[in-house]
Formats: sequence, structure tokens, C-alpha cells
Amino acid sequence: MTLHCLGIEGTAHSFGAGVVTSDGKVLSNEWDMLKPDQGGIHPREASRHHSEVGPDIIRKAIQKAAIGFQDIDLIAFSRGPGLGPCLRTTATIARTLSLKLEVPLVDVNHCVAHIEIGCLESTFNDPVTVYVSGGNTQIIAFAGGRFRTFGETLDIAIGNMLDVLGRELGMGFPGGPIIEIEAKKGEVYHNLPYSVKGMDLSYSGMLTAAKKLYSEGVPTPEICYSVQETSFGMLAEIAERAIAHTKKSELLLTGGVARNNRLTEILSGVAERHEAEFHRVSPSLAGDQGAMIAWNGILQFNAGRQIEVENSHVLPKWRTDDQDILWR
Amino acid sequence: MKEVLARGAESVIYKIEEWGFSFVLKWRQAKPYLLKDIDSHLRKSRTSRECKMLTVSRSLGVPTPAVYSVDLDKHMIMMDFISGTQFKQLAGQVSRSDLISLCRGFGKLIALLHEGNVVHGDPTTSNIIVDDRSRMWIVDFGLSEMNATLEMKGVDLHLIHRALETTHWDLQETMLDSTLEGYVDVLGSTAEPTLSRMKEIRERGRYH
Repeated sequence: MTLHCLGIEGTAHSFGAGVVTSDGKVLSNEWDMLKPDQGGIHPREASRHHSEVGPDIIRKAIQKAAIGFQDIDLIAFSRGPGLGPCLRTTATIARTLSLKLEVPLVDVNHCVAHIEIGCLESTFNDPVTVYVSGGNTQIIAFAGGRFRTFGETLDIAIGNMLDVLGRELGMGFPGGPIIEIEAKKGEVYHNLPYSVKGMDLSYSGMLTAAKKLYSEGVPTPEICYSVQETSFGMLAEIAERAIAHTKKSELLLTGGVARNNRLTEILSGVAERHEAEFHRVSPSLAGDQGAMIAWNGILQFNAGRQIEVENSHVLPKWRTDDQDILWR
Repeated sequence: MKEVLARGAESVIYKIEEWGFSFVLKWRQAKPYLLKDIDSHLRKSRTSRECKMLTVSRSLGVPTPAVYSVDLDKHMIMMDFISGTQFKQLAGQVSRSDLISLCRGFGKLIALLHEGNVVHGDPTTSNIIVDDRSRMWIVDFGLSEMNATLEMKGVDLHLIHRALETTHWDLQETMLDSTLEGYVDVLGSTAEPTLSRMKEIRERGRYH
């Protein structure tokens, strides 16, 4: 029997709902992102955004999937990691639906879901994953029953670094895509701190140095160009270290920053050098969205894991390597 | 005769035979997907750094391959070939007591570096070679640095912790404990600030 899972995602500034079948078909994937007029994401405002747009997005996801609520066999939700208020709003919606529709509830790890939707799309079995977004920068690979974090940022995430820099340069949120466009016009490279420590890295020094370039009057395109080349070069290096160390033969790029074409170009070069296959998760599945939660929910449910409402408190600090992966 | 021993993250390692002896040739190839300015700077600085730090580390009592020649334009280093097994591979094969004594040895070598204010920069079990007489050698000094601060030493220990939890997850506690024991054996109470910095750095990562 084909199962239909409704996945609900709301760990940070985006709220999403998607319907995926147990055959791995994405029937719908609706989302909305909070775009503050100024400044960054405030957790309280983001959670308010989720409760305001949530019901509509879920209704749209059901409609687009051309099913009714009665066809939903299980509800999956992003239990963590993320911003507490956002997680709680999302979990409340999921619990309500699970009780109302009398279907099982499945708790999904947001980071693991990013990897699994990438594996579904790419048909990869066992990749080294570069997961890059506003909140996360991790190099992950499966080993011994868990997704292990081989490397990660020691301070700020790459997406965060790009967005904050964008704000300094007078760009709107999110800054990353605008930085990519500006970088194409840049031809002069300025030295920036290149900070790789084993398979970990650090971006805060680069952010400070880039701000300094701006205050010295260096043109925006040159700053964007230099920041992209340096920060992506660092990612390439730790991805290479992870491939060389684990000897895996697939490289997966996912998360919101996966939409960047220059990063994609660099990492596909890395894969080629190590004779690994490369896949960049397509834009609609790369950012935070409900389809990945739904698909992970199916994997988890089929492996016998669901959660009772009374035990379903959110886990804002749920690490990627904290969950036993029962389906692999 | 030239045989590819390993294709590392930033280099290709060849084994060559000359004058009846075996040597390693480490070649940092160009990476066409990186910006040329960055790539050539990294290749050059890491090649020269590695040569220097292999020697500096040996002067601190840490067994490292001796360097015979270096070509900074081609980014190549010719050094001793160490006949042995990567610690990474050995860890799962030896008895518990052998594992403990190897880890203590590993910790001692890292302590000797830190005592001389040197950090390795990538202290994974892939970069430790155990030779036929159970002697441990450290290789791959491309990320190594001198004049190390407390923070840099803390990062070095943090990287050991990370390497153990990702690569030796089923043995990680035994391995971490005995590695740190070896570390403290050498440094005594002066190890304390570095150990607490290691924990602090780990908690700076996401979701701890």
C-alpha cells in the first residue's frame, strides 16, 4: 500500500508543508519565508509568521497533491534542531493534525532530512554531504549507524556570514543570492583569512576582514568575488578531506546555499578529482521545505519509529549525529 | 618506478625507488576549480610549511620522515618512506591493551609538539603511521603551525576528539581517554588549560 505523508517544516525563518508518497514521489511542496524589512531573523517574529501562514500552506500542499486530509497516512514534523519558538509552533500544528486525523506522528531531524531528500533525488546510497545553509555548515557522512559530522563551522554558518555581509553592503535579505550576482562582476581578488582546521573551518574572521575592505572603499563586486572564492575554497578543502578520509564515492551538496552556482562548480571539480559522483540538490528541495520532512518521515515510520504526542517535545539542539538511523 | 600510494585531499603521494631505497614523493597538484591566486598560494605555503615543520617536529622528539629535496615551483617534497600501517587501519585490529598503549603513544607525541608550541593542524588517525617495530610516526604537516597559542592547541585536541568520534565511533571513549592520558603524562598540570579549551571549543560548535 502506498503511504501519503504530510511533512511540516518550521525550524527557522521558513515554514513549509509537503506531501510525499512511500514510493518517493513528491506530490506537493509549499513554503513561505519570512523576509524582515530590516535586520535579521527574530525567533518570536518567525514563530508568529509560522502560525499565521501555516494553515494556509498546509491546505495548499494538500490541494496541490490532489488528495484530501482523509488520505494522509502520517504526519512528520521537524523536531529540531532550530529556533525554540519556531519549533514549538510547528510541533503544535503537527500534533493537532495527528490527533485530529488519528494518524501516527513522526519526529524528524531537520539536518538528516536534508541528506535523505538529496539521496532520494540523486539516487545516491552513501554520499559525503556538504550541508550549507543560513544556520548550518557541516560535512556529514554515514558511519556506524549514524550520520557523523566530520567537519563543521567553529563559529558562524556560511549562509549567515553571507547574509550578514549582504546587510553590511546594503543588500536585502537574504544577501547570499545578491552576493552571487555581484561576485560575477568582480575581477580583483583581495586576500581574506583562509581558516581551515582539520575538517573544521571558521568564517567569523573572514566576515570581519570583508567588512574592513568595505570600509576602505573596495568596490562591492570585488568584496563579493573575494568572499565567495575564499569561503567556497575552504568548503572544497574540507569536502576533499572528508572524501579522502572516508573513501566514499558520492558527493552531495544540499541546503539553501546549494543554490549558489559557483559553489556547485567548485564542488563538482572536487568530485571529479576524486572520481566521485556529484549531485547538487535542485533548488526546490535544497532549502528548508516540507517534502524533505515528509520523505524522512516515511523512511523512519517504515523502520518502526513514531512518537506519542506526550513525548514529542521539541529538541532545539538535536545534533545530526544524535539520532540512530534505523533505516540504513 | 613510481607507484601511487594515496590520493589525499590536497596531494598525490607516490612511492619511488632511488639508489636502492624507497622514498615518498608528495605532490600538491593544481586544482583548476579553485581561484588561481588562492590555489597557488596554498600549494606554495603548505609545501614550504610542511618541509619546515617536519624538521621542527623531529627536533622536538617526534618521529617524522626526513626531507631529502623540495621543489617549491612544482610543489613537490621528497621524503623518507615509512614502512608501516596507518593507525586508522590498525585501531580496529589490535587488542584492547595494544590499542590503549598506541593511543597513549599518540597523545605523548601530540604533547611533545604542544610543549614546543607547535600544533599539527590535522591530527587524525590517518596521519599517524605505526611502523613494523610499533614505533609511531606523524606525517602530513601541511596545516602545522609554530608559535601556537592556547586556542590553537585546544583546536588540535578538539580535532583529535572529532576524528575519534567519526572514524572510531565504537572505540572512541577508550581511545580518547588513553590519548589524553598520554598527553597529560608528558605535560602534567600544564595540560589542564588546553584540555578545558578543547571542551570549550567543542561546545562552540552547533547544538552542544
